[in-house]
Amino acid sequence: MSQTIAHPEASEVESSHGHHAELSFFRKYIWSEDHKTIAIQYLFTSLFFLLVGGLLAMGVRYQLAFPGAPVPIIGSFLPSWLVTSAGAIQPGGYNALFTMHATVMVFLVIMPLLIGVFGNFLIPLKIGAPDMAFPFFNALSYWLFLLSGIILLSSFFAPTGFPASGWTSYAPLSSHAQYNGTQIGQSCWCVGLFVNGLASIAGAANYITTVINMRAPGMKMFRLPLPIWALLITAFLLLLAVPVLSAAAAMLFCDLNFGTSFFSSSNYGQPLLWQHLFWFFGHPEVYIMIVPAMGLVSEIISVNSRKPIFGYKAMVFAMVAIGVLGFIVWGHHMFVSGMNLLLSATFSFSTMVIAVPSAIKTFNWMGTVWGGSIKYTTAMCFALAFVSMFVIGGLSGIYMAATPVDLFIHHTYFIVAHIHYVLFGGSLFGVFGAIYFWFPKMFGRMMNETWGKIHFALAFIFFNCTFFPMHNLGLNGMMRRIADPTQYEHLRSQQPVNIFITLSAFALGLSTIPFLINFFYSMFKGPKAPINPWKSTTLEWTVPWPTPHGNFEATPTVYHGPYEYSVPGMEEDYLPQNQPAPDTVRLAAH
Amino acid sequence: MAMSHDNNRPQQYAKSDGCARDGMNKFMLKQSSRTSLAFLAMVVLLLIASGVCARAAVRTSDLWWMPEVASKGGVLIDKLTYFIYYLTGAVFVLTQVVYIYFLVKYRSRKGAKATYSHGNNRLELLWTGIPTAIFIGLWGYSNHLWWDVLHAPTPPDTMEVGVLAYQFGFSFQYPGADGKLGQSDVKLIGNDNLFGNDPNDPATKDNFQSSVLELPINKPVRVRLNSRDVIHAFYVPQFRVYQDIVPGRTIDWVWFTPTRLGSYQLACNQLCGSGHYNMKAQIEVVTQEDFDKWYKEKAAAAVIPAGNAPAQSK
Repeated sequence: MSQTIAHPEASEVESSHGHHAELSFFRKYIWSEDHKTIAIQYLFTSLFFLLVGGLLAMGVRYQLAFPGAPVPIIGSFLPSWLVTSAGAIQPGGYNALFTMHATVMVFLVIMPLLIGVFGNFLIPLKIGAPDMAFPFFNALSYWLFLLSGIILLSSFFAPTGFPASGWTSYAPLSSHAQYNGTQIGQSCWCVGLFVNGLASIAGAANYITTVINMRAPGMKMFRLPLPIWALLITAFLLLLAVPVLSAAAAMLFCDLNFGTSFFSSSNYGQPLLWQHLFWFFGHPEVYIMIVPAMGLVSEIISVNSRKPIFGYKAMVFAMVAIGVLGFIVWGHHMFVSGMNLLLSATFSFSTMVIAVPSAIKTFNWMGTVWGGSIKYTTAMCFALAFVSMFVIGGLSGIYMAATPVDLFIHHTYFIVAHIHYVLFGGSLFGVFGAIYFWFPKMFGRMMNETWGKIHFALAFIFFNCTFFPMHNLGLNGMMRRIADPTQYEHLRSQQPVNIFITLSAFALGLSTIPFLINFFYSMFKGPKAPINPWKSTTLEWTVPWPTPHGNFEATPTVYHGPYEYSVPGMEEDYLPQNQPAPDTVRLAAH
Repeated sequence: MAMSHDNNRPQQYAKSDGCARDGMNKFMLKQSSRTSLAFLAMVVLLLIASGVCARAAVRTSDLWWMPEVASKGGVLIDKLTYFIYYLTGAVFVLTQVVYIYFLVKYRSRKGAKATYSHGNNRLELLWTGIPTAIFIGLWGYSNHLWWDVLHAPTPPDTMEVGVLAYQFGFSFQYPGADGKLGQSDVKLIGNDNLFGNDPNDPATKDNFQSSVLELPINKPVRVRLNSRDVIHAFYVPQFRVYQDIVPGRTIDWVWFTPTRLGSYQLACNQLCGSGHYNMKAQIEVVTQEDFDKWYKEKAAAAVIPAGNAPAQSK
């Protein structure tokens, strides 16, 4: 793909708009069509949902460590679908807790944090565009997302409470009110995910159009910063996978409320159809939640190592390969579902193959730090930890990819450990790193590094204390999604481990406090940020704060790739993308 | 060892502990280079120690590790599990040692400038090719075993047992005196015919029902799995067996050979509703003599053929 020039008229209109008309409060902060404001709306909203999801997780952990014990202090205020009259969590309420924990974390926290926040904030700034291609759709996307969150959580107030069929909502448990007992909650789940899907699709179409059409002059595809590549690939995954979930959720809603039988075991329905539809979305979804983090982390590591990213093209091709292969591995969630055994064998093969691009990325991150001059900023600590945690999460995935081992550890705590290493130690650590890294450009002030390091240390230690022992629990045969492990003889000896994990999880929850204090304090009182605090090369660090609506005074021109650090023969150790290399210097790549 | 007070076998926690520490050094690098090197050495030692501890744990205890295997197929599966365990363990230790070495060695220092390098295509080929070969080889091994454990033709002396899962319990059906379960059909499953037995097949007439899954040792058993309402699962960790039980279908390819006498618990491991956490049944693996005795008594007592009595959970 050759150079594409930002539409000159569009940028003129946008910037004149920004300079002249003083926007009303409503247009500036509520229905803003400025991608930067929308990104910050996403950030506050999804951080709020992060706290909600975290609290639900605390409930889950409390029950597993102390089954049947009344919840201290708040127990007597909780609704009757959740707790007994004595204030202890009931088994059905426990199912509701983990169902909503996962739903909130996947759809209202990780996806919006990575895609809503950093997709919105970084895409126009990094490609030199004045805004997204469709600002109206962008604003609409945020409000649909917020609406979906409200719908999903509103069932808390229904007499039967939250949905309780797991975030995977396997039919016919989810499709028949007489089996799940939570018709309102489950219906809210379907509608919420449908609306959430609309938000994702609107966002994805917007991102793709923007990246393809609105790059500044000279910004060739292979000069795009890696976060933009990652978000572009993610947008394609969203556009192809999310409609399948939306359709499935609509079918489930009909089964549940109108007596259709798409997923019922009678009337020619097929329960496995739900699983195929769900995981056809669900596996690309896993990559939707990790690929953007890979992109963000790649950039943070390159900047803080003062080194070009190792194997830029290999990184891009690996992400493309993950995106393509991600659509043919969904069956590995279904090895023991009753699916044909030959299908399991083929899905096992594609699953083994998809591990290769992840390995390539890991080796390239190691190649990037090799020979670097590493600055240990808080953002860098989180990014480096991401790599190690992703290695653990990736390696534990191999156990499940081997079908016979899956016969033993399927649906045990081993898989719970695995997904948390990828989604928390991976995606969420990537998000934390990215917040510390781009905070100066979002809010014009620096976050406090000391408190940042404290946050990192606590999060890192207690994350591992919480999730690593879950591998052992899984190998010991502890089932996922049971409200009371002491019901089983082979699990009673494990109870000390469960208590230890719960205490660590509480500490992990508390480790968010230094982050939140740092975040809000720095927003108002932090030292004013220079225009380019990390001495970074990409275009977002060339605009001042507050960045005007329309971003760039004049459309920038791009002369070379994004990661020109420590170029020999130059005094400064970085060469911004909008500055041509001096005649005396020869760049090694594009 | 922060965790040792929580358990009575502290050394086996070394694995997680070591892992927590090896990453910790990432933010503790503003020390003199000697301290850093000492720290690196400590990390490496911890990694090795954690490997040794984990190995010791494998050998001596099933308290913090897999429950002792109790089936023929399970032994094969464990071999593969250990193979992957050593493979991934080696990859983890190697990559982390190199990574942490880089992180310490290439920390920012006055006057030191980073190497200007955009990559190396030969290395890219190397670290694409080797993992590909390993993963495809691993798939070959695991897939071979997959067919051996699940799909191989069952021996002629295999006993077939019917299993019905429902919210929230299990019921079992034995073939009776003729040794045959007979034909069944999911469409016939109902309150008066729990296992969907075909009334026109004489082999179903003498089937009898049990609330306990009684199995003779060293005899292969094939389970015919049915569910009456939602998806349940047939999970016995000691046998290394897991299979979802899907309503509207009969799943009859799961078989295993118990090899250790004793009591086990059959657990539902697919979320099936509010009673899921407690949906289980007792499995008794007994000698052939004890089994024959139990079988004869049960068969004789089964005045009403199985399916005509309401489900009984234990």
